[in-house]
Amino acid sequence: MNLETFRYDNRIVRAFAIATIVWGIVGMLAGLLAALQLFWPGANFDLAYTTFGRVRPLHTNAVVFAFVGNAMFMGIYYSLQRLCKARMFSDRLSWANFWGWQGIIVAAAVTLLSGFTTSKEYAELEWPIDIAIAVVWVIFTINLLGTIVKRREKHMYVAIWFYIATAITVAVLHIGNSIAMPAGWLKSYPVYAGVQDALVQWWYAHNAVAFFLTTPFLGLMYYFLPKAAERPVFSYRLSIIHFWGLIFLYIWAGPHHLLYTALPDWAQSLGMVFSVMLVAPSWGGMLNGLLTLRGAWHKVREEPMLKFMVVALTAYGMATLEGPLLSIKSVNALSHYTDWTVAHVHTGALGWNGFLAFSMLYWLFPKLWNTKLYSVKLANWHFWIAILGMMFYIVPMYWSGVTQGLMWKEFTSDGFLQYPNFLETVLQLVPMYGLRAVGGSLYIVGVLFMVFNLWQTARAGQFVPDVEAQAVPLRSQPAHVESGPIYKHRWLESRVVLFTVLSLVAILIGGAVEIIPLYLIKSNVPTIASVKPYTPLEVLGRDLYIREGCVGCHSQMIRPFRSETERYGEYSKAGEFVYDHPFLWGSKRTGPDLHRIGGKYADAWHFNHMEDPRTMSPGSLMPRYAWLLTQKLDTNSLPARISALRKVGVPYEVGYEQGQAQQDLAAQAAKIVTNLKQGSVESAADREIIALIAYLQRLGTDIKAVAPPAAQAATSTVNQP
Amino acid sequence: MSSNTAAIAPMKTPAVGPGAAAAVPCHHCGLDCRDLVLRSAEQRFCCQGCRTVYELLIENGLGDFYRLGQSAGMQFQRPEATAQFSYLDEAALRSRLVQFDSEKLTRITFRVPAIHCVACIWLLENLPRINPAFHEARVNFARKEVALAFDPRRLKLGDVVALLGALGYPPDLRFDDLDRAPASPIGRRLWLQLGIAGFAFGNIMLFSLPGYFGLDSFSGPMFSQIFGWFSFALALPVFVFSAADYWRSAWTGLRQRQLTIEVPIALGLIAIFIRSLFEIITGLGEGYFDSLTGLMFFLLIGRMFQQKTYDRLSFERDYKSFFPLAVTRLRRGGMESWSNGAVGAKDNRSERSNAPTLPHASREERVSLSQLAVGDQLVIRNGELIPADAKLRSGPALIDYSFVTGESDPVACPAGALLFAGGRQMGGAIEVEMTRAVNQSYLTSLWNQAAFQKDDSGTLDTVINRFSRRFTFNVVGIAVVAAIWWLAAGDPARAGKAFVSVLIVACPCALALATPFALGTALRMLGRRQMFLKSPTVIENLARVDAIVFDKTGTLTSTGAGAVRFVGHPLSEIEERWLYSLTRHSTHPYAVRIGEVIAHDFFPEAVRSFLETPGQGMEAQISGREIWMGSAAWLASRNVAAESGKLEQGSEVHVAIDGRYRGKFVLGGALRPETDRMIQALGSCYELALLSGDNPRERERMAGLLGKSADLQFNQSPLNKLEFIHNLQRSGRRVLMVGDGLNDAGALKQSDVGLAVVEEVGAFSPASDGIVAASTVPQLAALLRYAQSVVRVVKAGLAISAAYNLVGLALAVQGLLSPVFCAVFMPLSSITVVLFSSGMATWLARRILPQPGGAGQ
Amino acid sequence: MNVLFILIPLSILLATCFLWAFIWAVRSGQYDDTQTPSMRVLLDDAPVAVPKESFDSKPNQTST
Repeated sequence: MNLETFRYDNRIVRAFAIATIVWGIVGMLAGLLAALQLFWPGANFDLAYTTFGRVRPLHTNAVVFAFVGNAMFMGIYYSLQRLCKARMFSDRLSWANFWGWQGIIVAAAVTLLSGFTTSKEYAELEWPIDIAIAVVWVIFTINLLGTIVKRREKHMYVAIWFYIATAITVAVLHIGNSIAMPAGWLKSYPVYAGVQDALVQWWYAHNAVAFFLTTPFLGLMYYFLPKAAERPVFSYRLSIIHFWGLIFLYIWAGPHHLLYTALPDWAQSLGMVFSVMLVAPSWGGMLNGLLTLRGAWHKVREEPMLKFMVVALTAYGMATLEGPLLSIKSVNALSHYTDWTVAHVHTGALGWNGFLAFSMLYWLFPKLWNTKLYSVKLANWHFWIAILGMMFYIVPMYWSGVTQGLMWKEFTSDGFLQYPNFLETVLQLVPMYGLRAVGGSLYIVGVLFMVFNLWQTARAGQFVPDVEAQAVPLRSQPAHVESGPIYKHRWLESRVVLFTVLSLVAILIGGAVEIIPLYLIKSNVPTIASVKPYTPLEVLGRDLYIREGCVGCHSQMIRPFRSETERYGEYSKAGEFVYDHPFLWGSKRTGPDLHRIGGKYADAWHFNHMEDPRTMSPGSLMPRYAWLLTQKLDTNSLPARISALRKVGVPYEVGYEQGQAQQDLAAQAAKIVTNLKQGSVESAADREIIALIAYLQRLGTDIKAVAPPAAQAATSTVNQP
Repeated sequence: MSSNTAAIAPMKTPAVGPGAAAAVPCHHCGLDCRDLVLRSAEQRFCCQGCRTVYELLIENGLGDFYRLGQSAGMQFQRPEATAQFSYLDEAALRSRLVQFDSEKLTRITFRVPAIHCVACIWLLENLPRINPAFHEARVNFARKEVALAFDPRRLKLGDVVALLGALGYPPDLRFDDLDRAPASPIGRRLWLQLGIAGFAFGNIMLFSLPGYFGLDSFSGPMFSQIFGWFSFALALPVFVFSAADYWRSAWTGLRQRQLTIEVPIALGLIAIFIRSLFEIITGLGEGYFDSLTGLMFFLLIGRMFQQKTYDRLSFERDYKSFFPLAVTRLRRGGMESWSNGAVGAKDNRSERSNAPTLPHASREERVSLSQLAVGDQLVIRNGELIPADAKLRSGPALIDYSFVTGESDPVACPAGALLFAGGRQMGGAIEVEMTRAVNQSYLTSLWNQAAFQKDDSGTLDTVINRFSRRFTFNVVGIAVVAAIWWLAAGDPARAGKAFVSVLIVACPCALALATPFALGTALRMLGRRQMFLKSPTVIENLARVDAIVFDKTGTLTSTGAGAVRFVGHPLSEIEERWLYSLTRHSTHPYAVRIGEVIAHDFFPEAVRSFLETPGQGMEAQISGREIWMGSAAWLASRNVAAESGKLEQGSEVHVAIDGRYRGKFVLGGALRPETDRMIQALGSCYELALLSGDNPRERERMAGLLGKSADLQFNQSPLNKLEFIHNLQRSGRRVLMVGDGLNDAGALKQSDVGLAVVEEVGAFSPASDGIVAASTVPQLAALLRYAQSVVRVVKAGLAISAAYNLVGLALAVQGLLSPVFCAVFMPLSSITVVLFSSGMATWLARRILPQPGGAGQ
Repeated sequence: MNVLFILIPLSILLATCFLWAFIWAVRSGQYDDTQTPSMRVLLDDAPVAVPKESFDSKPNQTST
């Protein structure tokens, strides 16, 4: 009988740990920069690469995929080997996973700052990087499943099930959401349009949060908390029920990001009901974790790791209760597009993911370097400063979120908007944005304490690259030989269930392959006759809108509330977005909604406003986009973009992009230049600002047009702001 | 961390003065090392056992055991000699113990009560480190079991058990629950069905919610059609697989034309399924698949809880294993048969070989049946039960198998013959060696045979069985009537709903469960307090009793305590030895009492042709002399005139040797403690009577005790006791007879409830309805009160379930209840009734009855 | 709203894979004992003395 000895690989864990810390700091600094820019426009340095529009996606991607991603890999690579009592399936795959992931992060940083983005939140990366992510993720999944197959412990602990769920679901989600038609090396248009694109994007984005930020971290909690508290988890059966409950139903909660938008009413209610139901499995996890410390609370006093873990679990409980409440339609009516959502996101991110990552690091470094933590006092300092930082972040955001929401909706006694000018609401929030920046910097200071502490710990200790262990391999014999009638029945029954499952899968795949092409073109969304595809100049203008990340602050979705129709105009119908690849509804209104901006201001107003917003609306927080006035519009990519759009369903005539498109573009540009001249503004016709103005003036005008002119730039009267 | 490569230098330093040693805790088990302090690698141990385990662990590199839990080791009782477990390797026994056996691998699961912490799991699961012959060791902490897989070629089963014992984790080798089927395969199936039902229910809700929120307003009927088909696809596995148990039991029920509980539920499921399919095909709506799968989901959860409560209730000692009989066992260790006097005692505690002969009496020990194991040597006296199949070693075996086979003439068996469990030895004591383990449930089932069954037509159980058989029939009837009613009223949807919800909401299981659970728990509570009743119906009869008849000797008076005097010419030593040998063979309380008094370490003589006539006396030939002992009347019938000295206080046993009267023993009958208080308590609400086979000397004492209205009868033969009870019953009384069951077996059988009082005696009369330890007789009043309150609990349980059914059916008939709600409500009701009845029975026992074990001698 | 024709099958496919995983897990006896695994996880081996590796300055050199 052979007692095999093998060695756990700690090098990969150390590599991911270091990456976690490095990218954590980078991501948080980007966040701090974005926070500063929100109340002090000067912090944009008036450079294209550092304006808020591009810094915000950098921050979200850096924190979610770099910091949390690496922390997740670190935890999984450490715990999976111990749980399976086996080394990773293949070291080469492990390092491919590590280097691949870091490469993707660097590529993301570069492309996002230089403006290459798909504008879909948490999926902003362009299609080559998407493919790279898919490849690296498959490598990770193979490595994970391989280790599980050659495990030496028969029972798969619940944490392993969470890792498997993460690996499989994130793969499906990422691929599902990244289906796009490339129109150049770093430019692509998603296959779906408008309402459909919105639903797919938020089905992906919510489940990315679910299966990237929650499920793996729950698995890590189920491993690291019992290990640190030296107590078995409170109820192992509850964790099993919690896992299967979460997995069977989590996948349906997407639509609660689109409440009161142009999404069909029943889909919204469906998303709402399922999100509210999700409190049960989430709180199941939290209670299971906290109750594990029954009888071990004295340890929380001494052990910094447990302090962080407890706050992480509490923040997880708060965030997962707040989420379902926010997805109730009446609450959402107030909170949507406001800073309340930002507060909810950061309760989860700073509290749950951040604190749990810190607790893992404080527990792993002494183990990896075979020594004690350098200074427990310093760790406690980090703990209290981080909590302070979190409070200074979240409370101001709640405060500003509610203020914003209420101010938008307030009516005077005689039925007019109390604050007709959007700017009045923005100015009200500047002090809160300031406090938020203070909170963010405190949090980063805490992280710096941690870095120093862990650095000293590593220096004091002696790194243990391979930990030896012994275990008995799994025997292949059946536990007990079944015979007689039971066995026949069992053989038949396993065949029947397997057969039904496989047939269901076959039907679905068959159906999907056959249905998609059929329905893709003929969309049964009731199109509005007067809605026409964008003109070539407007297409390029829209791409500029995407490049500069305007969607980060401006929404294009007017909700059917009197307060919004009074302020912006007719509420947005689903039919207006049928040619929007990608949809630009947005999820935050730092600036006003732009869906009915077309024709509201003169071209000249836009020209001056883009050059320096504060000239047209004093006190505005919008960064300056001076380079749009100087940079030339790149028109030679136009044919590729027009043909790509035609492939995804926009009805341009065949051959339109050969010559006709350029002529229309030049004609429309010339018209805009004449308009500018009337507004006493001089500009060349080939500047990027012209395309942007063309797009802005077109927004939301199709629905008003009675006669369907081919390309029309209404010079509507200018009504004073 | 304790460095685990410390060199072991076992140096035995003598104890350093008791004072210093006392304060030191043993490194292994944490108890104080009082007398002996052993050292090994500067750790101190309280006993040899702890130190051997410590060294064993260190040798195999398992030093971390002490890091995981401070002194988590088990305190050591006494290391078992390995030979001790060799019998486990017998093929018959091994096949019952082992789960999987091949020449290369054996799998076995032991129950190890000593498992109590994480360190135990770690130690037991590292067995492969200690002995490579182990392939795998897995601990199940909840059930305190360890599953071992080892190579039989290199390790015998006996050695495995010995090693476990040596490590301080002795397996609990109780044989009688061996045949309890392992629960795991069925459990898994229920988990699977529940999981699939939950999965389908959750996802079908996704497809039915849009229907609730007005789907067709926006995207046309196309989606509702597709969602309908998706729901159907998801509901199919639930309908087929998750409901499999309901289909199977409904089908078997119907095949025997007997409507079981599952039939209405199966009907309900079919109704929903067909209606939904119809609606989808015709495009009328999305159907009711969400309520179908919801129904299955909650039914299965209800079934899961019921199964858990049954397991928990039955996991405790099954009441059948409380058989309160005691048997005389000779000490283990190859004891020579005592009857021919040769002695070679080898007591395994001390390894001294040629030990001086132990006094004879100490080589016997009274043990309860549950402590017996295969290979024990037992002494079976006249009238005692043979607890398990055994080989006759010596002595005149005359076995009465009436208890087992029903025919009454006893069977003579030669030495070495195989005697079967349940037989009763008639005549002299015999010595047997057990070849099979005691199977207490078999003995109890013998006792509940039809031959001794009293007619229980009126009991609650039979009433309920009759009612529940018709219950299903009524439910289906009501459902059909409701459906027709609503159809007539022109509302087909409501008709369907009413039909289905009536079928599902009606729950006879509450009716069927209330009685067995309440009475079953009550039996167990009584069993723990050494009041052992034959079957649940006995409790009901006890509750209806209104007259109590006592037997004097052995019931009210305790023979064990009174003084014994010999009147007449003093006995010589030889004569005393003869009398002692004679009394060894009988279980009569007087004989046992006399035997104890004149014991003083005689060797018992060989006894031939021993004959005991119940109620009169016993005779035998010992070393050529004819010796008679018995009542004066019996000796007179053999024309031996008893000297009629003055009437002594207490009962007399006269002795005659070779036909000449020799003298008489006078046994003082002392009353049992608190008997007077018990009689006052009973006197108020019961009519009391006393029947005694003795002479009327104690009449006025008994009259004072029982009160003037009590009817005292003396010199009662078994026959007139029987008639007395018969007359009482004819006068409309329900009679409880309390006697020692020896000479009043007929009376016990005739009475409504017959309680046999047992005092450490193996004698056992099948006619009795219950066996009560002598010490519990004073608590008779509490027993009766408890019986009455349990019956009230049963009635309350029935009332609850009846109320539930009425309310449920009323609402269902009006079509107000949705099927899903019924699915939740129905299992809930049966669980509440189950928990209510068993919970109340336990609570009442704790309040009314004395603490278990507390009332022991 | 015909994107649902992609979303729903995709989600059901995913959910069915997890259902199959659930069936495999229950059938292969993963959930026979639902208490000991939570304690067994605490028991991985103490770090056995391993040949000390010199403190390598290059934190992430590729190992074989």
